[in-house]
Amino acid sequence: MKENFFRSMTWMHTWVGLLVCWLVYLVFFAGTVSFFRDEVTLWSKPELHSISKPPAEPIRIAQQREQITNGIAYLANTAPDSSRWRISLPTTREPQLVYAYEKPRAEGSKRFGGWQTYIINPETGEATAQPRDSKGGNFFYRLHFDLHYLDARTARYIVCFASLFMLVALISGVVIHKRIFKDMFSFRKNKGSRSWLDAHNVSSVLALPFHIMITYTGLITLIFMLFPYPALTAYEDGLKGLFNDVTPTNIRTKSSTQSAPLVSTDYILDQVYTNWQSADLTSFSIRDPNKASATVTVRASTADLVKDQTPTMLFNAVSGELMAQSAQELTTSEVIYDSMTALHTGRLANPLLRWLYFLCGVAGCIMIATGCIMWAKRIRERMKKDQTASFGLKLVESLNLATLMGLPLATCAFFIANRLLPVSTVQRADKEILAFFITWLAVALFTLFKRAKMQWYLLAWLNAVACISVPLINALTTKGNLVSYMLNAQWALFSFDLVCLVCALLFILQAKKLRTQLSPPAPNTRSNRVTKPPLMEQKG
Amino acid sequence: MSELLQFNLCLLAFNCFALAKFNHYRDVFKTRPSQKQSQQFIIVAWISILLSLLLCVVERQGYGVLLFCGYMALSVLLLMIFYSFKASWVKYISAVNVTLLLLSGSYIAVI
Repeated sequence: MKENFFRSMTWMHTWVGLLVCWLVYLVFFAGTVSFFRDEVTLWSKPELHSISKPPAEPIRIAQQREQITNGIAYLANTAPDSSRWRISLPTTREPQLVYAYEKPRAEGSKRFGGWQTYIINPETGEATAQPRDSKGGNFFYRLHFDLHYLDARTARYIVCFASLFMLVALISGVVIHKRIFKDMFSFRKNKGSRSWLDAHNVSSVLALPFHIMITYTGLITLIFMLFPYPALTAYEDGLKGLFNDVTPTNIRTKSSTQSAPLVSTDYILDQVYTNWQSADLTSFSIRDPNKASATVTVRASTADLVKDQTPTMLFNAVSGELMAQSAQELTTSEVIYDSMTALHTGRLANPLLRWLYFLCGVAGCIMIATGCIMWAKRIRERMKKDQTASFGLKLVESLNLATLMGLPLATCAFFIANRLLPVSTVQRADKEILAFFITWLAVALFTLFKRAKMQWYLLAWLNAVACISVPLINALTTKGNLVSYMLNAQWALFSFDLVCLVCALLFILQAKKLRTQLSPPAPNTRSNRVTKPPLMEQKG
Repeated sequence: MSELLQFNLCLLAFNCFALAKFNHYRDVFKTRPSQKQSQQFIIVAWISILLSLLLCVVERQGYGVLLFCGYMALSVLLLMIFYSFKASWVKYISAVNVTLLLLSGSYIAVI
């Protein structure tokens, strides 16, 4: 225990933060990218770029009835015997209309057979070319809490543990930051570790409500995994019972072999629009079509309500009777849980709020990065000239370089692989992910041997080149480029390329800054020549 | 347009908070602020930030609070950049800020 409260808090902030900073950086980085999950997925499937943005709300909603009716007819012709049909309607973020059916399951298997999807251009009603196999933004979304190669449950426990540490670090950070409002706009450049501390403080303070909100709600989204005991006590079938209770549309009817015709789609949609006037539907799914047990699930958008649970209605697809619908009035605890999930995912956000979320996410990444760099820098400054670095310091420096510079490079490798891998490659999506992890591993191995300023400098240039390559390779391998996206008002694609170029510019600035620190000062004094250590050996 | 008004109010508020501080005021105007000036800046800042929050909440409820947090982050970032790297530009930025505030406010009042 330290001698006073302030010192104890400082000690806790340092060590709690340092212990998980690289993992939290990965979680923040991937989470920040996945605020634009749909846009990244759209970019990674150039076959969908020709589909223009759906019209504004009243016209789009008016078209939905026709799209659903056409979809049912299409699926009835294509897969009359499938056990599930799904029609996903175009939205402003996902402009394509999707008709899908479940592929036949393996003999005797109860496992889901996977979706066979058809992408339809909503303007023409024609099927477009099948898009390339890519996870796109979904990879980053899953990565930020499933950590990809780990078992999902284990990974989520690890991420929760790291989030808890992050929350402790945030709160202790507020306590130890005595001049939190006085230093709000202060950044003292070229002042060594003082500048790093300022950058750490500013990036923490400018988005402090966001940092606390995103960390706390992140824990809340997984609360039933962390703390299932009330549900296990109250329900005989545990969490399943709880979820069925709060989601009345989870009813599963027993599959029947008896055939029965589907009720008219209009009859169901009339009921939907009577209950929810001007509802913006997102999907229309049928389970067991053309069977006596057939059910229809209709989902609508939550629009900009701070609410995550999708408004859903469940109908008997043979009689058209409404079987269940999502609760209109939620209990206080449901409202709290649901709104916290909505706040965390940011699915409610319009483009302006989405960009603000992104900005705050970037601030979070900077806060973590500056924190871990500062730790190593301060230890280096305290070391005597002839003292060799400890194993711990070397490890932290390696991890800093590998994570902070390796992750952006790996992300670029993922996008470059998306454009360069042949479309016909088997398990193409997995190969893109492999490119991501191989690049990151290569950087990590590189940092094991050298982690001086020169290596930061090299990786800054490598990142700059990789960031420029993404829009460049995109322009060379697809019909679109930054200019055409701007002229055609394809703002999601334009922004993607622009962000890559901005990142490239920032890496160039970083490299230039490092270059000035690497170049030897003019040997104008005797003391300069004698006392300065070799610059290549100075640590970052 | 209402988003522009809300953001400009937020930016004005943080700018006033910054100018109420001795070192930031000196960086911009090359003189020290009087006690009265600092107090006036703080009063304007509080009115402006509360007005921004009020407009956000009245118009968009819970969603508005999220927007407001985003506006705060963006305002602080912009001001931090200007005060740290281009303090001489703050006067012009403040003028643009107030002009946009008046224009967006007038537009909303007229429409």
